[in-house]
Amino acid sequence: MKPFDPRLLRAVPAARRPVAVLAATGIASGLATIATAFALSAVVVAVVEGRDLVTPLAWLLGLFAVRAVLAAATEWVAAWAGVSVSSALRAALLRRWGTVDADVRLEPGAAVSLATAGTAAVEPYAARFLPTLVTAAVVPALAIATLVVVDWPSALVVVLTLPLLPVFAALIGKATAESTERRWSALAALSGHFLDVVRGLPTLVTYGRARRQVTTVREVSDRHRRATMETLRIAFLSSAALELLATISVAIVAVTVGLRLSTGSMALGPALVAILLAPEAYWPVRRVGAEYHAAADGAVALDAILAQLEPNPTSAPHSAPNAAFGAESAALTMSSTSNAAFGRASGGGGAVGRVRLTGVTYAYAGSPTPVIRDLDLVAGAGLTVVTGPSGVGKSTLLDLVAGLRRPGAGTVEAPASHYVTQRPFLATGSVRSALTIGHPATDEQLWEALRAVEVDGVVAALPGGLSADLGDDGFGLSAGQRQRLALARAWLAPETLLLLDEPTAHLDPEGAEHVAAVVAELAERRVVVAVTHRDELLAHADHHVVLASADARPVEVILTAGTLPASPRTAGEEGAR
Amino acid sequence: MSTASSPDPRVEVIARPTPVPPSPRTAGERRRRVWWPSAGTVRGGLLGGIATASGMALTATSGWLIVRASERPVILTLLTAIVAVRAFGMARPVFRYWERLTSHDAALRLLAERRTSAYEALIPLTPARLGRRRRADVLTGVVDDLTDVVDAQVRVTVPVISTAVAGGIVIALTMALALPVGLVMLGLGVVVCLVSALAARLESRSLPELLAARAEVTRVSELMASQAGELRAVGGWTTALGWLDDAHAALDRVTRRISAGRATAASLFLVAVGAAVAVTAVIARDLPVSTPVKALLVLTPVAVSEAITPLVDAMRALARARGSERRIDALLDLAPAVAAEPASPEASSPDRAPEDASGTPAGHTAYAGGDRSDVETRALTASWTGARTDLTTTDLDVPAGSRIAITGPNGSGKSTLLAVLARHLDPSGGTYLLGGADALDQPLEQARSRIAVVDDETHVFGTSLRANLALARPDADDADLEQALGAAGLTPLLRAMPDGLDTTLGAGGRGLSGGERARLGIARAHVSRRPVVLLDEPVAHLDPPTARAVVEDLTRGGGAPGTSQGEAAGTPPQTIIMVTHRDDGADLFDHVMQVRRRPSATMSPNTAQHTAETDARPDDRTHEPDPPRR
Repeated sequence: MKPFDPRLLRAVPAARRPVAVLAATGIASGLATIATAFALSAVVVAVVEGRDLVTPLAWLLGLFAVRAVLAAATEWVAAWAGVSVSSALRAALLRRWGTVDADVRLEPGAAVSLATAGTAAVEPYAARFLPTLVTAAVVPALAIATLVVVDWPSALVVVLTLPLLPVFAALIGKATAESTERRWSALAALSGHFLDVVRGLPTLVTYGRARRQVTTVREVSDRHRRATMETLRIAFLSSAALELLATISVAIVAVTVGLRLSTGSMALGPALVAILLAPEAYWPVRRVGAEYHAAADGAVALDAILAQLEPNPTSAPHSAPNAAFGAESAALTMSSTSNAAFGRASGGGGAVGRVRLTGVTYAYAGSPTPVIRDLDLVAGAGLTVVTGPSGVGKSTLLDLVAGLRRPGAGTVEAPASHYVTQRPFLATGSVRSALTIGHPATDEQLWEALRAVEVDGVVAALPGGLSADLGDDGFGLSAGQRQRLALARAWLAPETLLLLDEPTAHLDPEGAEHVAAVVAELAERRVVVAVTHRDELLAHADHHVVLASADARPVEVILTAGTLPASPRTAGEEGAR
Repeated sequence: MSTASSPDPRVEVIARPTPVPPSPRTAGERRRRVWWPSAGTVRGGLLGGIATASGMALTATSGWLIVRASERPVILTLLTAIVAVRAFGMARPVFRYWERLTSHDAALRLLAERRTSAYEALIPLTPARLGRRRRADVLTGVVDDLTDVVDAQVRVTVPVISTAVAGGIVIALTMALALPVGLVMLGLGVVVCLVSALAARLESRSLPELLAARAEVTRVSELMASQAGELRAVGGWTTALGWLDDAHAALDRVTRRISAGRATAASLFLVAVGAAVAVTAVIARDLPVSTPVKALLVLTPVAVSEAITPLVDAMRALARARGSERRIDALLDLAPAVAAEPASPEASSPDRAPEDASGTPAGHTAYAGGDRSDVETRALTASWTGARTDLTTTDLDVPAGSRIAITGPNGSGKSTLLAVLARHLDPSGGTYLLGGADALDQPLEQARSRIAVVDDETHVFGTSLRANLALARPDADDADLEQALGAAGLTPLLRAMPDGLDTTLGAGGRGLSGGERARLGIARAHVSRRPVVLLDEPVAHLDPPTARAVVEDLTRGGGAPGTSQGEAAGTPPQTIIMVTHRDDGADLFDHVMQVRRRPSATMSPNTAQHTAETDARPDDRTHEPDPPRR
């Protein structure tokens, strides 16, 4: 683990200010501590020699007041910095995932845990470990510098002994590294056991195995205790050794000072300053070791997060929407603000943008064979229905057109799109917020859209109507109702290109007929590309594209006659309408 | 000071169980407060007190030594002091080490004890009292809260005892040396107590808000991380980023507020120490004691500041632990949703009493097969809370071996019905016959041993595929397991497993897709060979094609003759009752039953398989279904 990764400041500019403020308060606290040592020794000298106390006490009280303010600031800044840094990382991470390919992203479980637990683990790292690190870097140096001026022999002792601490820590760490690592992994397995058993409790209860696990839980908890103590014994022993080393070093300072005092070669004031300052050189270094464990998780998470934030060499640079038509690189449109702009620009007249794929090849990450190979496709105004056997890459094709995936080769030209996926996203919250997540709309517009897809009755029956709460992920609605709500949202969307993945998959024939009619109506005003394996939509299709199995040969594309330019790879025709 | 604890601001659990009336649980011992010390923690606190006192003594005697040396005495007279300084210097790390070992061991013992008792207390509450959704998250919350509560021993109890012991020693000694200074130290102690109380109060006041803010951040980031593609597809990404910014802003606000309390305490401690030093200096200057003692007295309050600094963190840990304890108590104090013993133990159907009484060992009971397990309810009603009726009178006739889909709008009581059938929830009225006998009269374990339950979040244990399946029936052999995997459509998965049935799954092992998990849950039900399988929206989180494929395999592999391996092995086909939405594959079942929130539920047979559209008109009345088609 690196104590501090400068990549943090490069990748997350929002983290710079908190880290800078942390460093500033750390330095100020260090200075105040050193000044306090002088004031305190002045007070002691005054008491001992029975001199006037007013001036040294004023200094002391003033410095304590300053330190009180700094202590408050340190607590406050540490908490703020912790939250700021982890929030900034989380935001950067999620923003990043909002622009990369589905394939490049982590798998959902790992992504969720990195964005939640991972970024949260950075918080103690930033709130506790970084301040400690700053203090360790600043205070010993200040203390030594002061000692050089006040009493150089003491400074010499400190300079000679201080490096022993990290050296000792490294030696202890090295000697125990292997067993520590072994113990940590054993420990992780043991501590995971209880969580695993408890999370699986419903299953255990169902199959009558829950009571049996009581003894196991007790045994494993006990083993967990023993394994933890094994690990802690080493950790505590090494910190005790460091403390002892520091104490001995301070004692050496005290002895040399004492000897020089008793021979009369030194005054009381500097002597007191020396013994008050000497410990200040050691404890910050020891605290870094103590905070190390608490911060280790955060440092590991930070490493993983920064790796995600690094520019990915495999993904092409993100081109501006509709700027790269016909260019060599893939021109993709995805951001929703530019979507709206594009929709306004070209949505009014008949000149709606069309979709053109040229020589597109796509392989899933880690898969040697492409699922789509050298595909040419043009979809103009009206409804284009894409059919083909399962697994031929129909949904992947829509992902490519929507810009959620980038082709390995070839170009995708498409305007901004609204894409209704197989399991459309419905956030927890009201029906209204689910429908207006992409673009604002009035209640009248919402009802009109709901009526158009014939789901207005369902919504009206919900308690609260448009304000009714949908469960988590639309829970409580049937798949068909979810699908219809998604279509209503598509109805409202200003984008000129509509992509639909199996819009009738889970509707009864009657409902599917109706939805097909709705889709056809939508296609009168926009470019609609729909993927389906059912027949209802085909009856309304202006163009029909069949994706053939893409094992080794280029994908066979069959286009309707007339409107579309011929492609060298088109073979055969299938009529519609 | 604890290195055994988890990272500080943990991700908070969003889901919390629905409120139900509590029961006077076997209270007593568990009612103690979070900071109440165990014997081991008291030992740790005393050892810590010695370590802390040694640290203070080190500072004070060093001061004495330096001042005495400046008086240029004969070196020999300094020796005692030098030995004392050395002894204190050695004692501090040694006792600190001893304290940390003792208190961590005590805390871990307590953790083991609390985990075991919490686990036992959770068993009768599972699953009915864990809430309807995201039960695993509720359970994760319990595990985290237990850790926080036990953490209080190390982070609160030990530092507080240590500081109190060391403070007591300091006050006693200074009083012996010079009463006025002793009184100043006593005053400092009182101020420290007051400031600590204030800090604890400020901390716990904002804690609920902090947890809520963290939960919201977690919810939004979970959503964005898992559904980035879907959000972008509908142009909702910008909106979601707005949610994230709002959640972060709220968290930032609460964090600033809560840290203000901590900042106040930290600064007040320093103000108090500064004042104590000043007052002591003024008093000490004119005291009739030797000059080295004067130096010692002046430096004592400074040494105290080292000892009281950990109290700020301790108060924070205390507030956390208290909140966690309250949450644990709120859950574990709930009354189980089923009475442990049958209402009238002697009442049992005469024709099947002997076999069942003999063949069911406690703990695990594998269903042996043989008798019929028709499911029959009459005028069944149920309620989760007792306050409102969640299931209105329901009549149900499910002959053994048939396959029933239960549909109905949200809140109609589908899941409640399933919970009653599973014997997770006692009905509030009506009768429930399982295999011709009143299910409520059968011992709970026995009734449950005839039923396998599959819900919407199949848990995958971090162990081998074999152990994951065999927990449903430990005497199942590999052939049984492979058969069950096949029936659930998991043969391709098994083939892809590097070590076959020995492949490790779960955390640290091979991850499973949502569809594979749902199928694993169904495979478990097959392995169990229990005559009745209840499924509660097992495909709710899957995309429609996957959901349909899973249900297709279920209805084909589980109950239908000819395809059922279980029947070939002499077991009758399993009865399948599944709560689902009609478009998630209800048309694949023999019958579709509609539950609605009105006096009676309706049930109707499919007029033809695969055409659920034509059945179950809302105005259908309850009637006997046709026998299942074979």
